[in-house]
Amino acid sequence: MADFEEQQNLLEEDDESSSGERGSASGADRQMSAICDPSRALHRVVVLTFMCFLGFGSYFCYDNPAALQTQVIQDLNLNTAKFMQLYAWYSWPNVVLCFFGGFLLDRVFGIRLGTIIFSLFVCVGQVIFAAGAWLDLFWLMEVGRFVFGIGGESLAVAQNTYAVNWFKGKELNLVFGLQLSMARLGSTVNMNIMGWVYNKVAAAVGSPGYYTLGASLMIAAVTCVFSLICALVLGFLDKRAERILHKEQGKTGEVIKLTDVKDFPLTLWLIFIICVGYYVAIFPFIGLGQVFFIEKFNFSPAEARAVNSIVYIISAPASPVLGFMVDKTGRNVVWVITAVVATLAAHVMLAFTFWNPWIAMSLLGVSYSLLACALWPMVAFVVPEHQLGTAYGFMQSIQNLGLALIAMAAGAILDSRGYLVLEVFFCACICIALIAVVMLYFVDYVKGGDLNQSAAARAKVQKEATSDAEAKRRPSKQTQGDLARLAPMSAFSLRNRYLSRLGAQLPDHCSTHLSSLAYRSVLK
Amino acid sequence: MAPAVTMRSNRVFVVLLVLLFSFCQSFVGGTKEYQRKLIVSVNPNATTLPPGGDLLHVRAVGNDDTLHFLFCSQGAPTLLIVHTNSSTSSVQVNWPQFLSRNVSGGLRVEPQSSIQYSIAVVFSRLLEYDDVNDTAKPDSGFFPPYELQNFKWTRLQLFGAAALVCGKTPEFVNGSLCLKLSVFDSDGRAESWPRLLHSSNSSQLEVWLDGITTQAPNSRFLLELQAVGGDFPLSRVDVRQFIDDEFTPSIFKVSEWVSPAAGGSDVLGYVQWKPVAYRQSSPALEDATPCRYSDPQSQDANATAASSALIRAFFSAHNVTGLNVSFGLAGEPFYNSTKFLSWTVLVGVGAPPVDTFSPIVLTIMAVGLGIPVILLLLGGVFVCIHKRRQGATAAYQSIN
Repeated sequence: MADFEEQQNLLEEDDESSSGERGSASGADRQMSAICDPSRALHRVVVLTFMCFLGFGSYFCYDNPAALQTQVIQDLNLNTAKFMQLYAWYSWPNVVLCFFGGFLLDRVFGIRLGTIIFSLFVCVGQVIFAAGAWLDLFWLMEVGRFVFGIGGESLAVAQNTYAVNWFKGKELNLVFGLQLSMARLGSTVNMNIMGWVYNKVAAAVGSPGYYTLGASLMIAAVTCVFSLICALVLGFLDKRAERILHKEQGKTGEVIKLTDVKDFPLTLWLIFIICVGYYVAIFPFIGLGQVFFIEKFNFSPAEARAVNSIVYIISAPASPVLGFMVDKTGRNVVWVITAVVATLAAHVMLAFTFWNPWIAMSLLGVSYSLLACALWPMVAFVVPEHQLGTAYGFMQSIQNLGLALIAMAAGAILDSRGYLVLEVFFCACICIALIAVVMLYFVDYVKGGDLNQSAAARAKVQKEATSDAEAKRRPSKQTQGDLARLAPMSAFSLRNRYLSRLGAQLPDHCSTHLSSLAYRSVLK
Repeated sequence: MAPAVTMRSNRVFVVLLVLLFSFCQSFVGGTKEYQRKLIVSVNPNATTLPPGGDLLHVRAVGNDDTLHFLFCSQGAPTLLIVHTNSSTSSVQVNWPQFLSRNVSGGLRVEPQSSIQYSIAVVFSRLLEYDDVNDTAKPDSGFFPPYELQNFKWTRLQLFGAAALVCGKTPEFVNGSLCLKLSVFDSDGRAESWPRLLHSSNSSQLEVWLDGITTQAPNSRFLLELQAVGGDFPLSRVDVRQFIDDEFTPSIFKVSEWVSPAAGGSDVLGYVQWKPVAYRQSSPALEDATPCRYSDPQSQDANATAASSALIRAFFSAHNVTGLNVSFGLAGEPFYNSTKFLSWTVLVGVGAPPVDTFSPIVLTIMAVGLGIPVILLLLGGVFVCIHKRRQGATAAYQSIN
């Protein structure tokens, strides 16, 4: 991430804002140290640290089953279909919760309490999961994953809302980039460390077995406790900042109206199909990947885990870079086609050849990042602003539904037919996504839409649009303050709102209260 | 004598060719399977039931050749396959000579001149060792080996073209070691895992250890096999990798213990297996346990002949090679977890069968890749027509 510029901006803007704040702050004129003053950069860096680690525990523990696949299956006498249930149960609550996450955070709990509650769910869920392993009760492990799932996705929404509330403008790129990197770091560390933890515990306990598994998962739960502590600290700091700076609690700003679904255009449904068809060939594959690399390519377990985690390692630096590139060149549909074809090539390589899987997995990592950068912003081009919340919620909901179902199907296929048929199945899912994106290209072309416009063409349209909008708005503009904020935004600035999450530069005039919608999808 | 591992990058093109071939084959109208007529007889021409074990003889008659499959549990269980180039060859057993096990000649294939090739596999010993540290390295902790020639074998049970025989020894307490031989009349694939592909030139032997009381809780087993290849001993083990694990999930390799012809490339006879053993009689994927083999080494021909009646009776001068197959890897469950272990091996003459893709895989890939391409073409055509239609109705028209 090339963010020296942003670092400088961070400091400059803070100096301006802090001097302004100090001037307008009433009473409370104590000289707080830089680290305690919410308006100063150093304090915000501290808050940023806590914000980044907020999601660490959730991402660390999400892929615990994949990192310990052999041990889970052996110690608990499972087959692969039952093993994949652990992933399915994580996705089931999010089929419904995607619609309610924003609502719960804005109206019911508030951001602070909401974050703490969701962190608590994550922590408790992981502890129940570990307890289920300790007691050799598989149904309890499924309950644990269910509870963990309730907290996990909603915590990502809360994390983004915090970021949007504390950081503005160009800093936001850096913050989101850091959050993405921390999430990926959590996944990578999990993949590479849990096997070692298990072996150490087995050496201490004496033999492998479900006790060892339960103890290892309890150790993993420590990261969730750590995240819970971060949530508590963040809540405290946020409340304190609210008191000192007199600002409001952050809001996600999401509005969900399910009746809007009937207005979704064909292009949006095609985007949904692409999303589902693509992601079901990535996450269940990573879930089952370790044993695949051990059996087919004769990797050692440590090597297999490393190559399994390469997708996450690559997407941490690649996402901001590719997001910047997509923003500069436009033509989202072409990038989506490229990403889908590259993923198909990677799966075909893994299925039909014995070539070194590092190549295929690296290709998978890059194309996965590219698709995230190009696909999610397209929703904003296709749907009006007041329906965006519903559109993103729906997209995540069916994504989770697809993941839950396909995770179970993948396990069943592997048990009965082996790895080649499983890979062919994943290739078929990607082919469905490919069919959808080809159709999207033609439908968009025929309708004369702007999904595939280059960035230069978009800038031209935006100039014309804003000049038109200015001309329309001039007579009706009455006061400077509130009404100006309510004025409708042009399509171009809407798009920037979401692309900026992925590393592009934000223009100064856009507001960012809906940014979290697109961003949390990038993490998944 | 070292195993040859085929791992070259032009394997991809071979795979594509195989894909193309199997596709074309299914279009052309099915493979021309080589069918044989199977005639099964137990203890042929015996006046009384031979004590100690039966002799099974299956004549697999083709168009112009015959394969004689002989399976006997007198002494160590032995499978002998004799390939003759006449469809009227027969087997003559001199029972007193056969049962005395002193001299060769007790079993003859007439006419002698029609014999092309013969291969025999002897299951000589079962070894057990105590894997105290769970390393699965069979180099110490051995208990006294079980000599299969000293087992008490049951009578042969026939199921069509398959025969089952079980053996016990006092150390097993209640357990037994069973062998099931299946002879085939055409190409096909077995129903239960590892679902080895067989042809009419091969026979399948399943070995399983059922309910044996082990000497130690952490015991693992090795099975010793000896092979007699007539003039061309089975000297090396080839390991072939294949991308399709559809019929034996998670196993991508096949090991073949072959007897190469003088010349090196042709293979006259083989013992083929997949490096997996199963810990349940109706196994699921998680019941698979890997197995390894040791390099084939020469054995004492006289000892082998002494241990097996069939070898003594048929072969007069022969080379014997042997290898050990060890079951289990470090970290895998021990025999005592399920008290069951089964392993399957395919023995035959000629070249070993090669696995192909199933039609499902080919269809899915063809449909999955074909539809986007067709859509792209159709869409491109449609877009061209659309553009031309737009260009035809020009924005400006001439005024006069």
